[in-house]
Amino acid sequence: MSFGSFIERLAHLLPVLFGISVIVFVMTLLTPGDPVQIMLGDQHVTDELEQALRRDMGLDLPPQERFLKFLGNAIQGNFGLSFYHRQPVVDVIASRLPATIELSLVALLFALAVAIPLGVFAAVKKNSILDRIATVTSLFGVSLPGFWFGILLILFFAVNLRWLPVSGRAGFTSEVEPITHLLLLDSLLRGRLDAFWDALRHIILPAITLGLPVASILMRVTRASMLDVLDRDYITFAQAKGLTKTQVLFKHALKNALIPTVTVAALQTGALLGGNMVVETVFGWPGLGRLVVESIFVRNYPLIQAAVMLYAFTYVTLNFIADILYTILNPKVRL
Amino acid sequence: MNFTRNIMVLGIALALTAPGVPQASELRVGFSADALTLDPANHRNRETETIIRNMFDGIVTRDADMNVVSQLAESWTAIDPTTYEFKLRSGITFHNGSAMTADDIKFSIDRLTQENAMGGQTSPRQSLLGPVSGVEVIDDLTFRILLASPWPILPAMLPFQEMVSKAHVEAVGDAAMADSVNGTGPFKLVEWRKGQSVIMERYDGYYGGSTDIEPVGNACVERAIFQVIPENASRVAALLAGEVHIIDKLPSHMIAQVEANPDTKVMAVNGTRTTFMAMNNQSGPFSDIRVRHAMAHALDRQLIVDKILNGNASLTNGILSPDAFGKNENLPAYEYDVAKAKALLTEAGYPDGIDVTLDVDGANKEIAEAIAAVAAEAGFRIGVVVGEASTLSSRFRTKGEPIDGQMWLTSWGNGSLDPVGIFVPTHRSNDRGNSSGYANPELDALLDAANIETDRAKRAKLYSDAEAIVNRDLPKIYLWVAQGLKGVSTKEAGWRPSSDRRINLHDACVN
Repeated sequence: MSFGSFIERLAHLLPVLFGISVIVFVMTLLTPGDPVQIMLGDQHVTDELEQALRRDMGLDLPPQERFLKFLGNAIQGNFGLSFYHRQPVVDVIASRLPATIELSLVALLFALAVAIPLGVFAAVKKNSILDRIATVTSLFGVSLPGFWFGILLILFFAVNLRWLPVSGRAGFTSEVEPITHLLLLDSLLRGRLDAFWDALRHIILPAITLGLPVASILMRVTRASMLDVLDRDYITFAQAKGLTKTQVLFKHALKNALIPTVTVAALQTGALLGGNMVVETVFGWPGLGRLVVESIFVRNYPLIQAAVMLYAFTYVTLNFIADILYTILNPKVRL
Repeated sequence: MNFTRNIMVLGIALALTAPGVPQASELRVGFSADALTLDPANHRNRETETIIRNMFDGIVTRDADMNVVSQLAESWTAIDPTTYEFKLRSGITFHNGSAMTADDIKFSIDRLTQENAMGGQTSPRQSLLGPVSGVEVIDDLTFRILLASPWPILPAMLPFQEMVSKAHVEAVGDAAMADSVNGTGPFKLVEWRKGQSVIMERYDGYYGGSTDIEPVGNACVERAIFQVIPENASRVAALLAGEVHIIDKLPSHMIAQVEANPDTKVMAVNGTRTTFMAMNNQSGPFSDIRVRHAMAHALDRQLIVDKILNGNASLTNGILSPDAFGKNENLPAYEYDVAKAKALLTEAGYPDGIDVTLDVDGANKEIAEAIAAVAAEAGFRIGVVVGEASTLSSRFRTKGEPIDGQMWLTSWGNGSLDPVGIFVPTHRSNDRGNSSGYANPELDALLDAANIETDRAKRAKLYSDAEAIVNRDLPKIYLWVAQGLKGVSTKEAGWRPSSDRRINLHDACVN
């Protein structure tokens, strides 16, 4: 990929982000519910004090003025103050983002580790009883609602067996000076095996709950593309050359079959980063998904706007990364 | 076989390294939400206040029975209707060891009430202190709170505010107050893991707390942790697994689970939130008082409380909860009487019954469906429509503009237990919580008079009269005040739940 096309692709981000910012802003205007009333809650308040709060939250300005102000600030990386936290939304999001990234990555690793071997296996043993079991299991994996499966895991592994903790990200004693803010990584970098083990114990159940549907999708994609690839002439040729089964499977077939898996995995990562509110709530995981949904309920506009922009940015970037990965997996693909 | 064996080995390994039962001097609370900030002046959130209250004390506080009692102040008197004088206890120190004086109180209250007093921001708690206009410092331990107009509920509203150190705020700056704690409370901050937990340890220089709440002295446990677990089922699971000692917001359908476990129990306390059904008094069938009365007679409220809330609520015939100041104890109840309901409906022109809609948010769907089922017998064919709470709020709480809907099952909380916080907003003409479009000048006059009446007996009488009016006019169907339910480990002792849902851990011990 040339530098020029790289920059060109990067430039596509700008109109997308602008479009998203308009849509989010208009949607916050159209959604019923008044942040001032929600914040005041159940309380006797005079009109003057109500207006003062409205002014303080910047909601007394007409919509177009608010939008221009938002846009002007956003370009400088300033998304305003969270109505509820009363701190810059960028700081609030930054405090929650690492937990979400860590959980998403571990869930993705779990999904890949399960899906690719199973997918290859199911394709090679096509129509065998094991293939069918894998296919049906993956159907369950996609269909199980996260909140139900998560609670089930908690009841079994945390309440009955008491092997793993119910919730949270780490115990009180496993405090590690942050480097990357990813606990698993930081505890290893600091040589704190106890903290690593503690963090691992906390992340297992949420990562499985979050990763299971992804694993199921990836497994099916891998199986389908493996089946497609195994029918190709070059595989027959490789076999005819007398290469071993392993060489054919992993060197020739899998490498080509992985392209769709990578695409789907990249898109699923976007979904993981944005859509794990349910899992974060069930496991008390201090991530961004929970924060955003809570913010929607209380109409915390600045935080919603910033988070949606972040999601959009992540999604577009991941797509971009997937495209680059294609070129590595298959040099014939050009951007 | 290998796989099974590996799983077993992994399980044993995990179990061996499990933290197990927390140490004897550590108390954990499974709490439904995280703090939004640790700055007592910069939030408008009940859960945040509950957490903060363990690190910051107030001028006055409430005991578990909701009486206003002294805390930092040892006494107070109303010099005149707009001036209250307070005397502070001596020997109170902040967590950094510096002494607290009346200057800190003045600074804290100014920060809460003055425009732009927090680094250019105005405190979102300003309205909770109504007409407080300033503080006059008399000497190190004496100060006066000045009011712009008479406000008899000042002592009832003061427990919502915590005092900060002037020197500390000036040193760290207002923005840093979000996670920098230097309070006078029984616990000091160790670490706030945002979204996850607030970890506190005992402050050994504590002055002892309110002398009206035994025991006085340092907190019982060495460490206290609020562990954020938003999901009800997970919070209960954490209690059952022994990971936490107290959980808030125990849903009534999970009581049995907690009671069945030998290591956990349920503690209930009278709530302060009145549940009611707002009816559109402006237009439609409920603008006819006979239809509203018919609806009241069509409901077997006790049956619904018993079946859906497991009996954990007390019925109310007016807007005030049974524990509130000025509660009218003699309000007539609208008895469950299907024949009477049908007769009233026929009289109002609906001999064949009536089709109506009941809006409700997701959390209360089950109750709404029970109401629909019970009222059907009297001829109310109720369609239950589930919506999102904030959206419903803007459809019904219209400040006098046309209401978009017929009935809304909702509630209003009243943590101060003073009528002004619930009666005025929900019933005064065009007020912000008036979700039935009810407007009655006679009632408005009573509420306005009560707002500034400083004689307690006269004030109680005004509210009592006001409640008789709404019981008669029935702009809403007053249903019940649900109890607050907590799940508690049997290892915990000394802590009592309180009606305002606060969880003060000073008295909680762990065996």
